[in-house]
Amino acid sequence: MNIIVVEDDARLGAAIKRALEHLAYTVTWLRTGAEGLEALRSQSVDLVLLDLGLPEKDGIEVITEARRLKVKTPILVMTARDSVESRVRGLDAGADDYMTKPFHLDELAARIRSLARRAQGLADNQLDAGALSLNLSTLEVTFQERRVELTRREFALLRILMERHGKIVRRESIESSVYGMESDVSPNALEVLVHSLRRKLSPEAIQTVRGFGYMVPRDLT
Amino acid sequence: MTQRGIASRLRWSIGLLAVAVLIPMGWFAARRTLADVDALCDARLAQAALGMDAMIAQTGLAHIEVAHDSQSLPDVPVTGHLGETPTHEVEVGYQVLGADGRVLLVTENMRRLGAPPEGDGAFGDVHIDRRHWRLYMHRDSARGITVTAGERYDSRRDVLRALWMEHALPLLLGIPLLAVAVRWSVRRALRPLDTLTSLLTIRTAWSRDTLLLAGAPEEIRPIVESLNTQFRRIGHALERERRFSADVAHELRTPLASTMINLDSAIAEKRGMRAAASLPDAYASLQSLARRTDQLLLLARLDDADDMPRGRVELCAAARAVVDELRATARVDARHLDVSVPTLPVWLVAHGPALDALMRNLVENALRHAPAGGHVCLTVKQDAKATVIEVRDDGPGIPPGRREAVFERFHREATSLGDGFGLGLSIVQRAARLHGASVDLLDPPDGPGLLVRVGLPH
Repeated sequence: MNIIVVEDDARLGAAIKRALEHLAYTVTWLRTGAEGLEALRSQSVDLVLLDLGLPEKDGIEVITEARRLKVKTPILVMTARDSVESRVRGLDAGADDYMTKPFHLDELAARIRSLARRAQGLADNQLDAGALSLNLSTLEVTFQERRVELTRREFALLRILMERHGKIVRRESIESSVYGMESDVSPNALEVLVHSLRRKLSPEAIQTVRGFGYMVPRDLT
Repeated sequence: MTQRGIASRLRWSIGLLAVAVLIPMGWFAARRTLADVDALCDARLAQAALGMDAMIAQTGLAHIEVAHDSQSLPDVPVTGHLGETPTHEVEVGYQVLGADGRVLLVTENMRRLGAPPEGDGAFGDVHIDRRHWRLYMHRDSARGITVTAGERYDSRRDVLRALWMEHALPLLLGIPLLAVAVRWSVRRALRPLDTLTSLLTIRTAWSRDTLLLAGAPEEIRPIVESLNTQFRRIGHALERERRFSADVAHELRTPLASTMINLDSAIAEKRGMRAAASLPDAYASLQSLARRTDQLLLLARLDDADDMPRGRVELCAAARAVVDELRATARVDARHLDVSVPTLPVWLVAHGPALDALMRNLVENALRHAPAGGHVCLTVKQDAKATVIEVRDDGPGIPPGRREAVFERFHREATSLGDGFGLGLSIVQRAARLHGASVDLLDPPDGPGLLVRVGLPH
């Protein structure tokens, strides 16, 4: 899942990026509203964490312009402005949720999961595909009733496939979700990642659809 | 002790003034009239006596003597009325005495007078039948007769009483009427004050609306205007406070958020090594929080510093102290920090802590923007008009179009690394304003960067 963090404070931005990466999210950290808006328009982004007090282009302007351009990506606002008017203004401009600084990492993660669930039409944090299950909250993966330890990237790959299990997920979506806006990704990095994931689960767990992408079958045994 | 109201004070003073002026005026006028009436009555009395003498001269004394030769008294009857009309006839009379002292002619009411007091052309007062009379004697030495005309005083007193009434009655009736009129007009004149009072009473607390008092008289208008000015000022101050506290919240909550996220990460990590990795960042965030708190306090203190005492400050030593302090706190890192001051001391009458804060914030900002290995220089110099403090760095500079904006409180340039930068220039500007100094952001004469010049006028 590819998350963009737009925050001009260096320490807070770095802290959020590191914390979310530990939760197996792909995070791109931008410092200005203009960059944030540009990323929203041109990239496939799953969620935006947006500070409101930004230099050059204010957070509210970013939301308004993004919505005007029909960008539907969920936007989670995080701000120090805690007045009711400013919340109402943010939500009315098109934000999906609002968090007042300071906040706990657990709450931030829960709100990100909630927005992701809503965007994907999921009822809870549990994703199941036959014998394979993945918990979005605890980050636990079990296969054939056995705990599987995955790396951050492996988890990110499995998450996007499980979110749409039974359907083919295009290679480009997977790459943007797992690697985000990283530029130095080798061409066969995804193949390597799929290979290691198959070794930890089973070769049938991830099916290759030539020319399109990959798929986790619905009734995996 | 509470002061009596304007209305009651006006009422009393106008009332008392009216009484104090009108009553003596009435009294004097009445006295004057009475004296005139007295003189007039006396003149008529004298005229009557002289007229009688002239009449006797015409008629001839012998005729009167003949007419009254008998034993009967020479009485002239006094009826007290002419036909049906009552007169004051009983109150006036006359007497004519012959040379031998015999009464030749007398009105009935003056029969008991007997011999009049001596004197020719003299007025006199006597009692006849327990009544008080005014007399005038005229002695006609040619014919040897004495003519006395008399008038009862109660006749005069009636006239006087009538005159008194004429003067006093309007006053006695007028004063209460005047009091009512004064009361009414005072109340009417003060009505705008009542309106103002009720407007102020119904005003909600912290309302920023101005007062609208249509048709306010010129005495009230300045009050309303200055009240409105005050209301506007308070409104602006409240608005500024509100914005300031919102900005303060932002300034303090962001490092607090970063501290919490870092500590949360450290707690979430079960393995020691990774947990430890978040702690330096949490600590740095707390340092940033502490620094911003200091800056906010400094700014708040400078906002109230107008009344603070000023002292003599030696600027060169102060500049060197600021640079030494910044070098010691290792904020300099890999940048070169120089200080250039004149050899002779530069004495100023100034607010020492504010000048220190000004120089420290300028140098800190410069250090933050200078590249690694770059140079920052704090210069103190004097020219004809001003003592100049300059700080230059060789960082990216600020484009001319954005220089105005960086002075706003809490403004942050996109290129800055976040550390409370938004307050630094506000502090500089506030400290400069305390000294009537100018702050200019300029291009350095050579190479890239920013040159901040503070001119303290002599």
